Formats: sequence, structure tokens, C-alpha cells
Amino acid sequence: MSTHTDTAPADEELDVLDPRNTKFDLIKEGARRDGVEIVHYAPRFPVAGTKAERRIERSIAFLFFLCFLGGMGFVVTYIWWPWRYESGAAPAVLSKLYNPLLGASLGLALLTLGMAIILWAKKLLPEEVSVQVRHDGQSPRDEQILTAAHITNMGEELGIKRRPLMMGALSLAALPLGLAAGAPIVGAIIVDPHRKDENIFDETGWNPKYNNGQPIRLTREDGSPIKPEEISVGGQITVYPGIPGGATNEHADSPTLLIRLRDADAKTARDNAANNTRNAGSQWGSYVAYSKICTHAGCPASLYEQQTNRLLCPCHQSQFQITDNARPIFGPASRGLPQLPIDVDSEGYFIAKSDYKVQVGPAYWERP
Amino acid sequence: MKRRKVDLSRLPAAAGEALDERFQAATPLRRLMNKVFPDHWSFLLGEIALYSFVVLLLSGVFLSLFFDPSMADTKYTGSYTPLHGVEMSQAYNTAVRLSFDIRGGLFMRQMHHWAALLFMAAIVVHMFRTFFTGAFRKPREANWIVGVLLFWIGLLEGFCGYGLPDDALSGTGLRIMTAIVLSIPVVGTWVTTSLFGGEFPGTVILDRLYIAHVLLIPGALLALITVHMGLLVKQKHTQWPGPGRTNNNVVGVRMFPGFAAKGGGFFMIVFAVIAAFAGLFQINPIWLFGPYKAAVVSAASQPDWYVMFLDGSTRLMPAWEIRFHLWGGGYTLPPIFWPTVVLPGILSMLPMLYPFLEARWTKDKRVHNLLQRPRDVPMRTALGCMAIGFYVVLLLSGGNDVIADKFNISLNAMTWAGRIGILLVPPLCFYVAYRICLGLQQHDREVLAHGVETGIIKRLPNGQFIEVHQPLAATSNGHGDEHGAGLEYAGWTVPKKMNRLGALAPTVKGFFYPIEKPAPPTARPVEAPVSPAPAREEITSGH
Amino acid sequence: MSSEQSRRPLARMVPAGTRATRSRLRRRLSAGVRLLAALTLVGGLYSSFAPGIGQAQDTTPKLSQSAEAGKRLYEVSCVTCHGNNAQGVDQRGPSLIGVGSAAVKFQVNTGRMPLARQEAQAERKDPALTPAQADDLGQYIQELGGGPQLPDSGALAGDVAAAKNDPNRLAHGGEIFRVNCSSCHAFSTGGGALSSGKFAPSLEQSKTDDIYAAMLTGPQNMPVFGNSELTPQDKADIIAYIQNLNSDQDPGGWGLGRYGPVPEGLVIFLVGIAFLVFATLWIAGKS
Repeated sequence: MSTHTDTAPADEELDVLDPRNTKFDLIKEGARRDGVEIVHYAPRFPVAGTKAERRIERSIAFLFFLCFLGGMGFVVTYIWWPWRYESGAAPAVLSKLYNPLLGASLGLALLTLGMAIILWAKKLLPEEVSVQVRHDGQSPRDEQILTAAHITNMGEELGIKRRPLMMGALSLAALPLGLAAGAPIVGAIIVDPHRKDENIFDETGWNPKYNNGQPIRLTREDGSPIKPEEISVGGQITVYPGIPGGATNEHADSPTLLIRLRDADAKTARDNAANNTRNAGSQWGSYVAYSKICTHAGCPASLYEQQTNRLLCPCHQSQFQITDNARPIFGPASRGLPQLPIDVDSEGYFIAKSDYKVQVGPAYWERP
Repeated sequence: MKRRKVDLSRLPAAAGEALDERFQAATPLRRLMNKVFPDHWSFLLGEIALYSFVVLLLSGVFLSLFFDPSMADTKYTGSYTPLHGVEMSQAYNTAVRLSFDIRGGLFMRQMHHWAALLFMAAIVVHMFRTFFTGAFRKPREANWIVGVLLFWIGLLEGFCGYGLPDDALSGTGLRIMTAIVLSIPVVGTWVTTSLFGGEFPGTVILDRLYIAHVLLIPGALLALITVHMGLLVKQKHTQWPGPGRTNNNVVGVRMFPGFAAKGGGFFMIVFAVIAAFAGLFQINPIWLFGPYKAAVVSAASQPDWYVMFLDGSTRLMPAWEIRFHLWGGGYTLPPIFWPTVVLPGILSMLPMLYPFLEARWTKDKRVHNLLQRPRDVPMRTALGCMAIGFYVVLLLSGGNDVIADKFNISLNAMTWAGRIGILLVPPLCFYVAYRICLGLQQHDREVLAHGVETGIIKRLPNGQFIEVHQPLAATSNGHGDEHGAGLEYAGWTVPKKMNRLGALAPTVKGFFYPIEKPAPPTARPVEAPVSPAPAREEITSGH
Repeated sequence: MSSEQSRRPLARMVPAGTRATRSRLRRRLSAGVRLLAALTLVGGLYSSFAPGIGQAQDTTPKLSQSAEAGKRLYEVSCVTCHGNNAQGVDQRGPSLIGVGSAAVKFQVNTGRMPLARQEAQAERKDPALTPAQADDLGQYIQELGGGPQLPDSGALAGDVAAAKNDPNRLAHGGEIFRVNCSSCHAFSTGGGALSSGKFAPSLEQSKTDDIYAAMLTGPQNMPVFGNSELTPQDKADIIAYIQNLNSDQDPGGWGLGRYGPVPEGLVIFLVGIAFLVFATLWIAGKS
């Protein structure tokens, strides 16, 4: 039994066991003991069976009936309506209506159920206004003093303060246990990004080490190599390193855009690259190859505009000028796209002379 | 053996006694049933989030029975022909299978995704309600902080969730997230490679996202929601000022049966909205995107709406990269660091600290259980509108390529509009909101002093036209003094139209058209029933 | 009458004393006539023997009938911006030498050409010329300067239909589409924005021949996908994928334009939250 004293004002305790109590007396008493005073409690229809009441009841019943229909509709549709995929459009392809029918039926069922319950609460349940007392503010003063005494006593009994040896020993013991919690994180979860054998940031799939030191061919997604004449003037193609898995996400930093510029643009590009120590000599004829991985956030920058020679990245609208070392001319990217130095091998297929000369992709703190 | 007859009529009582013997539940149960909740529409907005969360849990369980987060390669052999034979990860494969080869799977997927969007939308709307009415003040600062945390953790959960199918759109989002983490100074590369177990994308990230999405983050969310609700139960809900309402009580309906019925009904309605959306509006059609490949992207790539404001901030950020030299090495702060790491940091810390900042500013240490009308705190309202302006500019900028394409506006111009807008729109919103608040306050005071405009124009003997005003209460000289010594403002709605007088609620009921018979006036807590109206005189008071 | 005058009857009409003037005038007149006759003779000899200026007009190649019709159309609709011999006019229209009939058919059948006004990009609009006229115009440009040509329309349509019925080809078309095309035209083929007011148009209503021609010729800023980069079969696969996508109704309900998270976010607020706020107003009112 609770012994709280926070009853609502003005009433004395009711004798609960008194047989003359009405149900509402009991309710009021229970509320009073919980700090609640029911100040207004009026049935909506004091006279039972009026037309208005019957009308409300009928509306609610109708809503429940609609809920029944919706629910049955949902079950029937779910189990018996054709649902397997077929290309085409409704009404020829009935399965296209499967999902909408499910949504409509379940939506109807739940909506009408909700409306019925709300209507019941609003129109049939008695009108009520209750007032509950809050008990804000601090706990009673003596409670505070007692609890504070308990806490300080705990500290005193343990006697850490007057047992410096224990304190020192405890701290010493706690240290490795604390470290132990961190050990799995450091030992297993944390991976060194600059491990020499992996070179995550400094190498891509174009590194000749993947081909026994030989330059790697530019290939399509299916692995077939590419000859210069296969790309039209003003054309572009996405190329991958010609190594096993080169076109998969295993080498997600390697997709490259090979572009064949018009002669005049190619000359501009070559002139602009001549001033750039990294990119000079990376062009082959009128063909340039730039990393497709945007230097801003790593999306594939692949919207090539063949007349303006701009490469637009769709994620944050960075634009790179292909005829000028792919330097950024608009948007949040701050560094140009790395250029892949290309050449043509003895059989006439494109190869990458070496890996990219600069890190591919978004920048990071210790980027050289 | 003689079988004891089960007395059915006594069954409930017997069960109750059995439970009470073990758990002493009688008093706590009754106390719960008698809890009083105030009755205002805006207090139900948080419930939308709660009910959406329940739907998320239920639909999520269904999805987890069919989804496999593995990144192992496989070829598609399901029934969606345009993907026939395409190489993809198991995750994408099972997600597409859920959409086309599991009966009702697409419905469940869509229900889950729409519920997530609704969850976040409800949090935002609820957060603004709490902010603008001052419900975050003492003693509810902790609950406010829990709420802000719920927003950010919900955002994280949604991000993990839509990244799980490994489709090209969300995979691109994952790539961007990698770049964001990379941009963090000193530890960026370490965190990224540790998360992915190596290079992007590696082979473990989806499994890790999965366990975060189905176990770790929902656990955190459940815990926070429990704390949020628990604090609400302990501290009781705030309420608007009004008749019979003080800072030390709660006026409303008790939990059972009134409030629980409304809550349960509302749960059904929220669920109905989610189900209707799941069936009638398509969301996240991953089969159109194809599996994630590093070289594949689409125009109009955005994250889900609740992350879109960060996409907007990223798009607007100019290309300001900071390079400097320390201890012989060169170090870079990429431009993406500021809009995606620093800005969210500020946007999470600032709201969490706001209750304390405002208390300091207003030098207010009291406990507040009564809400404030937004117009009565113009500074806070203006700050909130400024925040909304800032947020909306970022949100629109997140979709600026879709806007540019559909409304034939230059993409570059959209970016510049966003950059200028982010500086101009918030102060403008601040100023406009502030002035509107002051204007509304002034109108309240004016009506309190001079009465409601009746629309009756009267011509005085000297030829002047005046509008007759109906005073709100009888005062000593028949109407309020010229300079506002009429009624005092009580922090609640001042009736401004004739049909609102007397009951503070429309006496003409009906939403779209008036109901023929006006409903009886609702009785007020401490007054006797209404007595018949006294004989009325002609209205002669001025102004 | 004097005896002189009787011997020369015409002299009778000339007043006496003007004999020297008369003969000077006559001499001049007759000299002029003689000069004129000489010049005419020389000029006529010259023009008949010198390399003919008139013959210069005859060095243009003989055009086929269709190309002749095309040329007449060209001179009415295109010459202002593209020049007399399709060599282009600076700041107005590029040269059409080498663009081929495929480019002409694309631009004219989609209504982009003739251009209504100079703007960031030519807009698709109702064609001003019939397909037959477009064919003629294309033939003219083809014979003038050469370039890529469309394959036979019927054959292409047949190949696309075959691709639509072959899941392998359909899927292959999807894969190439996503690597090459979706970055500008979006996964949904609904198009997307490019820089500075340009855009990649929607492919939702595009015809087979137009898509093929666009890939082949790279109109305006679209890259050129020649037949050695994307073979005719690849192109047919892509067209099949695009058209199948657009005729395949969204299984999840109304697709919201397939624009992705932007309309989804709009819908959740404008429909979802709005409806629920009205619901809360109904449930609890404003007490």
C-alpha cells in the first residue's frame, strides 16, 4: 500500500468498503488518492437511447464494418491477387495493381478503425475534465538530508580517502582493465590506412604491379581492350584496368574516363598540360584520360559536355575543365581530376603508361 | 477424480488477484490509469513518431527474415527481367527479390521506408512545436536533449537502412559518407579504413551496417525513447494556460479510458497513412538503380529527405581547401569538412545547449509547466524561424539539380542562389517573424483594451464614423480605459471574432459548414451551469 | 542651188558654210560606230574562247532528287544560321559538313531544328517539317558532306523488339545504359540538369530512331557514341531497355515521376504530415 500524502485538496478519505458507495464514488476516491480531481464528468447522452445517440452508434458501427471490409480485402488480395512480376501496365497486367490494392485496403481498414475508436472516445465516452496536481520542485528537505548522508557514508565506509595504498592499488588495477576494453578495438577493428603492402590511398588498379610490372591495358567493362579508332571525335568511354576484377568494386578507385577531343581542343589541352609537371606527356594524340572518381566526395564525375569540354559531377555539381588539366571551375571541388598517362602498345591498344601520378578521389588530412 | 468447476464469471477477478499476489500491481496500475493528459492537437505530434517507430520495428522484422547483407557476388535469377543475369551482391539480390519474388515483399519494403520518412518528419514537426512553445525549459531540458539525440540517431539509422540494399543510389551515398569521414583531421583515414576493414568498399561494410541497423541503433533508439517517455510520465506533460490551469496542475482527461482511446485511435490512423503510402506511392525503386558500381551514377542523386539538408550544404560550399605545413609535412582540410562535419556538429550541439543558453539570457531559473504562445516570445520565435529559413534553403539546395531541370533554371544559378540565400534568408526570416510576433501581441492587447470589432458602423452626431467594439468584460466605466487598463493578458488566445466570445471555442460547430444545431457550451471546471442570458441593451459603446 | 550642192543631194539640206563641221561630226559618229563594232567583236571572241565564268556554276556535284528537294528546304529553313554550303555561320550555327543524315533527322524530327531562338540548348518542340522532308534534308546534307547514317527503320525496330523479348539483351542494355547514359539522363530516363542552363532531356517518350540517331551523332553537348564504341546491337539493347522501362508500370504504386528522394520528401510532408495534423485537430481540438 502506498503512503503518499499528495491528495487533491478539500476531500477526506472515503470508506472504500462502505456498501453505499456508488461506482463513481469509488472512481473519485481512487483518483483522489492519485492526486487527481475529476471536476467535470458528464455523460454525453444522459438519456439513453436517444436518436442522436443511436446515430452516433450507427456511424461507429458503420466504420467498424468498413474496417471489416478493408481487412478482408487486404487478406484476400494478399493471398489471391496475382502478384508475380510482368512487364507492362494495368489493367492488362493485374499484378501492377497488387501493391496499390494492398495499400488501399489496409489503409481503409486502419483508418476506419482509428476513426471509429476516436469517435467512440469523442462522442460516446463521458465528457471529462480532470485536474492532477504536479509535484515539482525539490524532494522534501529531510529526504534530501537522509540520502546525502547515505551517499557520503558510503564513501566514508569504503575509506578510500584514508587508505592511500588501496587507492593507489585500485587505480593501478583499473588501468589495464580499462585498456582491456579498448584492446579489441585497437587490435582487431582498427586498420592502419597506410600499411605499406596495401597502399590504399597511393595506388589504384592501374599500378603495373598487378600485371607483373607491365603497363595495363584500358578495357571496357567486359574486359575487351580498346583501340583509338573505336572512339569517335567528341566521344567518351568509361575504361577499367585490364586485370582480373578490374571492372568490379574491388578496384573502386580505378574507373577512368577516356575522351577523344576535337583537334583544336586537343591542342589546347596539350598546351595547358605542358605547364603542369604531372600531366605533361599524359595525353596521346587527341585522347585524354581522367579519373572518374570526383576529387570532392568520390562520386563518378561522368557528365561530359562535348562542346564545352566540361565534366560535371552530379552529386554536388562540381565542374572540371577537361581541356585545362581537368581543373575545377565551379562547385565545391578544390582539386583537378588526376590524369592517367596513356599510350598505345604495339598491337594498337590503349595502355596506361603508369599509375596515376597523384592520389585519386577525395582528399584527406595527411594527403601529400 | 472430481473436476473443479471453473466459475467463468469470477475468472477476471481471480486472474487479477493472482497477478496482484505476485506483483502488487493494484495501486501502480490505478495510478497509471488516472494520469491526466492535457488535450491539445499539437501534443499529439510526437506520437506520430512513436507509432511510426512501432511500424518500423514490425515491418523491419519481416524484412530481416528475407534480407541477406552479404557482399558476396552472385548473378540475379529472379523474376525482374531487366536485371536478368546481372552480377550483384547478395544484399542487392535479396532486396530485389523481396520486391518481386516475395509475396507482399514490396509492400513491406515500402511500408518500412515510408514509416522511416514519417518518423523523421514527425520528429522535426514535434521538435518545432516543443521549441516554439517553450516546452524545453526547466525541468525538461534533459528530455529536450534526448529528443535532439533521437533526431540525429534516427538520421543515422535511416542512413544505414537505405544503404543496406547496396543499390547504385545509396552506394554513392556511402561513398560520399566515406569522403566525409576522410575529411576529419588527423583520424579521418584511420576511421574510414577501420570502418570498411580496408579500402572502399571492401567486403564487410554491409554486414556492419546491418548489425548497426537491426541491433545497435534500434537498441539505442529504444533506450532513448523509453527515457523520453519515462521523463514525460514523471514530469507530466506541459499545458497551455487557460481557465483552471496553473503551473502546478495538469488539466485534461485521464489516461483510461479517454486518452488511451484517443491514442489508440491515432495509432491506427498513423498506421493507416503509412499503409496507404506503402501501397499507393512508390518509394526507393532500387531495381531501376542497378547494383552499386563505382563507375555508375545518376543525375538527380540525393539522399533521403532528412539527410538532404547536408547534401545541400555540401553543394553550396565553395571550393575552399586549406593546406598548411606542420612539422615538415603538408596537411589538408578539404572543403567537404565544413559543411558535413562542422555544420552537423554545430547543429547538434547548439540545439542541445539552447535551453541553458536561453535560461541564462532570460535569467529564468523557475520551473515552467505552462506553455508560451510563440507570439509572446518574439526573440525565440524569430530565432526559430531563422533556423527554419536556414534549414529550408539547405534542403532546397539539396535538390537543386531536380529544381533546375524541372523549372528550366541554370544549375549554376541555382548554386549561386543557394549560396546567397543561405546568408540572406535567415536574417530576413528573423526580422519578419519578429515583427509579426510584435504585431500579433499588439493586436491582442488592443482587443483586450478596446474589445472585439463587431463590424457595426455607427455614425456619431458630429458626423464621425466609428466601429462599435464589444468589450470582453464589463469594467467600471462600461468599457476599458483608453490606455489599456482593461483586461490583463493571460497568455492564452484572445477571442477576436464575435462568434468566439464566451466559450473560447467556436459556438458554431462544424469544420466545412456549420452544423444546424449549435452544440451545448462546454462547462468550465469551477462554474455553475450557465444561467439564462440577461436582457440586453443596445450596443452604444464606441471604438 | 550651187553646183556642189546638186552633186550631193544631202548637202542641200545642210546650210551653206557648215561643210567642215558636218564632216567632222560624221567622222566622229562613224568612228564611234566602228569602235563599237570592234569592241563587240573582240568581246565576243574573248567570251567564246576564255574559260567560261558561266561554267563555274556547273562544278557542284549532281544531287539526287531527294537531295535536291532537301536543298530547297535547306535554303528556306537552314541557310540563315548554317550558311550557303552548310559551312556554318560564326556565333549562329555550326558547320554541317560531316554530320550526316542521322544528325539531321534527329534534329528535325524532334523539332529542335529549325531553332526558335538562341539559348543555352536547343529545345525539343513540335517538328516544323514532316518526316519525309526531314529525310530529304538529311539526304542533302549527307550528299554534301557525308557522315553517319541511320540504319533501316524497320530493321532497327525489329532488332529492338527482339531485344525486348530477350532477357539477356534487355539486361545488357540496362548495364550499358547505367554506365554510359544514366549520369546525364538519370536512372529513370527522366533527364537531368547539366551546367549553365543546359540539360539532358527526358527519354520517356523518345522514338527508336531518335534515340539511335542521338547516340550515333552526339547532338550538342551529348558525347558521340560511334558504332565501334557501342555497336548497333548495343544501341538496340539500350533502346529496348529504355522503352521497356517506360512502358513498365511502377509496381509500387504511383511513381512520383521517378525523381527519387525529392518528391518522396515533398509527399511525406505535404500529404502525410498535413493529413495527420488535420487528424490531430479532429481528435483533440484546440482546447
